[in-house]
Amino acid sequence: MTASSGATIEVLGVSKWYGSVVAVNDVSFEVHPGITGLLGPNGAGKTTLLHMMAGLAKVSKGEMRVLGQQPRGGHGLYRRIGVMSEHEAVYTFLTGRELVELAARLQGVEDVKAQVDWAIDTVNLADAQDRTLGTYSRGMRQRMRLAAAMVHDPEVLILDEPLNGTDPRQRLEFERLMRELAARGRTILISSHILEEVETLASEILLIVSGKLAAAGDFRAIREKLDDRPFKLRVVSEQPRTMAAALMRLPAVDSVSIDPDDSLIVLSSNVAELQRSIAKLARDASVRLYRVEPLDDTLESVFSYVVER
Amino acid sequence: MRTVFRLTLRQLASRRRLAIIVLLAAVPVGLAVLLNFFLADEEDFTEQFVNTIMGGLMISLILPIVVLTLATAAFGDEVEDRTLNMLVLKPVSRLSIVLPKLLGSITVAAPLIVAATVAVSLIALPDGGVRAAAAASAALLLGVVVYAAVFTWAGLLTTHALGFGLVYVFLWEGLASSLLPGVRYLSVRGYTLGTLYGLDDVTFRSIGQDAIELRAALIGAVVVGVAFFLLTVRRLKRMDVP
Repeated sequence: MTASSGATIEVLGVSKWYGSVVAVNDVSFEVHPGITGLLGPNGAGKTTLLHMMAGLAKVSKGEMRVLGQQPRGGHGLYRRIGVMSEHEAVYTFLTGRELVELAARLQGVEDVKAQVDWAIDTVNLADAQDRTLGTYSRGMRQRMRLAAAMVHDPEVLILDEPLNGTDPRQRLEFERLMRELAARGRTILISSHILEEVETLASEILLIVSGKLAAAGDFRAIREKLDDRPFKLRVVSEQPRTMAAALMRLPAVDSVSIDPDDSLIVLSSNVAELQRSIAKLARDASVRLYRVEPLDDTLESVFSYVVER
Repeated sequence: MRTVFRLTLRQLASRRRLAIIVLLAAVPVGLAVLLNFFLADEEDFTEQFVNTIMGGLMISLILPIVVLTLATAAFGDEVEDRTLNMLVLKPVSRLSIVLPKLLGSITVAAPLIVAATVAVSLIALPDGGVRAAAAASAALLLGVVVYAAVFTWAGLLTTHALGFGLVYVFLWEGLASSLLPGVRYLSVRGYTLGTLYGLDDVTFRSIGQDAIELRAALIGAVVVGVAFFLLTVRRLKRMDVP
């Protein structure tokens, strides 16, 4: 049963604290069928939120409902949801197939063989299914864990950092699978600390910073905010003062300062324009460019910027 | 439940763990052989054997340590490597997880303990020691079950369950129960000794002074075993799973 708003997951003023440490602070949001990305830097509280949703952790304050039920209200809910936790630990003595079979049997799946075959085929690991998990690469383990999480074809999939350790080809395959499930009306909540990982996949995002919900909604709107933020670059060149003067003539550059090591620190609010112009600018000024590197492209700075906005 | 039981057996039966507990269980057998070889002709041999090997080594040391090694790992390994969520995120009751975990520990520990008990009894006790072997096996089996319940709970309670178990065995079951006679009524060692003496008070008469009544031992064992089983279920229901 879902709420009247059509939300499959409802988080209502939820807080979680461990002693005096507040991990999640008064967070409210809804998740609907489709793919939603839960984004935030490491330590932001994403995993704690997902743990509460899955019933692995108690809610300190507020209310959490998944498919209309409280996650810790009874184990029956687990027939309808699939959870893949962040930790990559598996029973290394089991084969990949045995892991998925274990999940299927515990889920009470009727045709275990057929469902296990389907789940393993879906993650493209049929060739490796009889090898013990201890011999798997990180990406393969992640995919087999995903197969175990979805072997009972759940209505809601909660995936904590599912793309850790996967290569680009596996990511594309993962995206295809998630889109397919979403098209069948499933709710998929994917957490990540990497913006680009979720960008192509999720239409809706929830941005968590320091245990609080910093932004929620359409990914493109939030992404625009990110693209507008001032960007700090280090430019190392043969003649820093000449290069600084040339840079100051660009409208995309807000300020330039010279570090004691003679590198330039450039602040730009239009980094795309700066990227396009900087090579030509150096050539016109007859200055040899040695290095151009972003200084504050960490997720923490990106997320902080959104919060400050 | 069968699925979790089979998983637990495979978890517990790792080569290294099995090697450790087989070696532990072999110690009293080896000592029984030596005692039998060197001291069998002595007048108080049976008494010495009962006090040293059965009461001192098997019941006070080997039994709790073998069960501790297995039962704390039944949940402890999964808490430590964070695989416990693979079980609790499934539509099965917590009782259906705890019971096969407990049975798994008992299934691995019991044959070893019983085999060692039968072996030492047959090697060193008079008249083939058949009756004594049966009594000792029953008593130690009871000890396996109750210790398994206590240590399975400990494995879920703390990541330092082995240390907790050793402190419990040496301080409470060893020191406190020898200094304060009343503690025997709250000690798995007390239940095991009480059952052993109650089932064969002829062969094991030398432990009579330390043994509680058979009825008290059986009631105590059932109460403690069931209580710790329920505490484990409760703990699994309420804890934040890592």
